[in-house]
Amino acid sequence: MGVVLEVEGLKKFYGQFEALKGISFEVKEGEIFGLIGPNGAGKTTTLRIIATLLTMSEGKVKLLGYDLKENPEKFRENISYLPEEAGAYRNLTGLDYLRFMARFYNFSPEKTADFVERAIAIAGLGNRLKDKVGTYSKGMVRKLLLARALMTKPVLAILDEPTSGLDVINSLEVREIIKSYARQGLSVLLSSHNMLEVEYLSDRVALIDQGKILAVGTPQELKQRYDAPNLEVVFRRIVQ
Amino acid sequence: MKKFTNLLFKEIRELINKQLIFSLLFTMIIFYFIGQVTRTEAKRAETARRIGVLDLDKSAISRGLLDNLRLVRFQIEEFETIDKEEALRQAREKNLTFLLVIPSGLNEGVEKLETKEIETYSFLRSFSIGQARYSDIFKIILETANNYLSNEMLKKKLPEISPENLKKPLKSRDFVIVRDKKAEASASAIVGFMYAQSIFVPIVLFMILIYSSQMVISAIALEKQNKTLETLLTVPISRSAIVAAKMLAAGLVGLLSAFIYMAGFSWYMKGFTGDLAETAGGITKIIKELGLTMTTSGNLILLISLFLAIMCALAMATILGVLAEDYRSAQSLLLPLMLLVMIPYFLSIFTDFKSLSLPVRILIYAIPFSHPFMTTQNILFHNYRAIVFGILYMLIVFIILVILAARIFSTDRVLTMKLRWRRREVVL
Ligand SMILES: Nc1ncnc2c1ncn2[C@@H]1O[C@H](COP(=O)(O)OP(=O)(O)OP(=O)(O)O)[C@@H](O)[C@H]1O
Ligand SMILES: [Mg+2]
Repeated sequence: MGVVLEVEGLKKFYGQFEALKGISFEVKEGEIFGLIGPNGAGKTTTLRIIATLLTMSEGKVKLLGYDLKENPEKFRENISYLPEEAGAYRNLTGLDYLRFMARFYNFSPEKTADFVERAIAIAGLGNRLKDKVGTYSKGMVRKLLLARALMTKPVLAILDEPTSGLDVINSLEVREIIKSYARQGLSVLLSSHNMLEVEYLSDRVALIDQGKILAVGTPQELKQRYDAPNLEVVFRRIVQ
Repeated sequence: MKKFTNLLFKEIRELINKQLIFSLLFTMIIFYFIGQVTRTEAKRAETARRIGVLDLDKSAISRGLLDNLRLVRFQIEEFETIDKEEALRQAREKNLTFLLVIPSGLNEGVEKLETKEIETYSFLRSFSIGQARYSDIFKIILETANNYLSNEMLKKKLPEISPENLKKPLKSRDFVIVRDKKAEASASAIVGFMYAQSIFVPIVLFMILIYSSQMVISAIALEKQNKTLETLLTVPISRSAIVAAKMLAAGLVGLLSAFIYMAGFSWYMKGFTGDLAETAGGITKIIKELGLTMTTSGNLILLISLFLAIMCALAMATILGVLAEDYRSAQSLLLPLMLLVMIPYFLSIFTDFKSLSLPVRILIYAIPFSHPFMTTQNILFHNYRAIVFGILYMLIVFIILVILAARIFSTDRVLTMKLRWRRREVVL
């Protein structure tokens, strides 16, 4: 399995405040990698830097061997990012939104149609896609955005709390979507503060708190290493 | 390029929404109705030139007086009675606005060089502005009558001298000089005509500037408010393309709405100046003689100046849009920009830039939007140095602003501003 994303010694300062204090991890081909940690741990900051939204203060990030600082456009071509809190253009219909976003990734109408078709399948919104996004519920918007993030089959899908704001049923659905996506050999980097969810979803996880990574490994490994029934207990043991 | 047009079309589509169309339509309708009302009001004033006359003198003098009134375009309706009350009743029935009563003995008065009294009756039927014009009509009648009667008196006393010459021993020939060109005309007529002709330029400019800035600032602020900016910034399109697409879309839609507003406005203005074109026939020839007409290249220069001012406004609005946390605060951030446009706008209407003191002038020149307001005059008076300076200055300001805008768009600031907003929302 090749390495898709390498993060090394990543630091981020917001003014004087050091939000990331040197973070290192890597994401391999076809794996789901979960960043877990409490509120304010630095998950979103990390994901935003990789998604080219924020500049890093120090460190190195590489995607398929390309350096983030030198080739941010290579990153944008090969990733897709689902923000923690996001919306879609309220005046467009769901379908138009998907078409609009698809056109940034390719130049042929056939391919656009291809992307949109995949997105329709992922979103599972049926006829509601013909309605304006402004009329959607929070969960519907989330699914639309997830579909748009995955439709282009990015090398790395970066999902910041993909199930935030969703009910139990919808969360389950979204988790299934993400799992089946990784089965196609593509990689996912996601964050959550719901450790049980991440434990279920991820092939490997990194526990992060106050801008530092405390432990990395498969959920199984971590549970064994800290002799805990689940990741929540693992986390509590590490912090203590 | 395809990515750019994709974004551009979406931006335009977002901007041309129901509210915009509604407010455009609404304004058009309002303008149209005001224009219509003014026009009917003007027509009503025209009909006021139909006056009723009760001639109790029936002499050569009173006939001459009525002929003179006809000469100054009054329609005269005579009553064949000798009873004043009866005449008034008939005038009311015929819906006349004026009744003029010429006393008997007018002829005799002229013979004896005595003052006589005529009576006028105005029928007030409303208090609209149109009624105010009646007092003008009043004045014209009296002036015409007095002028005629004094001429007649003078003729009696000094039959060998033309009364006109006696009353006005001096006649003037007026010349206007613009640069090296000279023409026979009064300065106030030329200034008035030029003003009426170019009043549209600052209004168009003002509207386009305000509309497009508002468009771009709301486009960016809405992107933040609806939380779509983050996603947009991670798709494979360069930041400068995003900035450019937003600016161009706003510029185009702003231009479109300004034109629509202008159409409405010109309808409205026609209510006031409908006959301007007819009376201006003679003056246009003089204007041409003085070289005060805009040539094609002159118009081109004006267009370039306008375009650069719009670009400056858009770039400035883009930066303000990034600073805004949401749509509402974007609207208030637009205020300083509007002020910068308003200052030269009002100055261009009410004063001459050149008459201002030096520090104020420097301040005005420093505002990029001042230059297009001055361009028409500068072209007509061949102040090429001022034009070149203005265009170069706006170009430099624009380049600096665009670099700044694109810079801000590729730093953290685009997002960190939004973060602050979100945190506050959590507190609420
Ligand atoms: N724009 C900013 N300016 C200043 N500080 C910031 C900014 N954005 C984030 N921070 C701080 O950086 C730290 C990490 O924030 P981040 O959003 O990455 O946390 P997170 O792990 O995603 O938390 P959550 O689970 O609540 O989403 C926090 O202490 C936060 O207050
Ligand atoms: Mg977060």
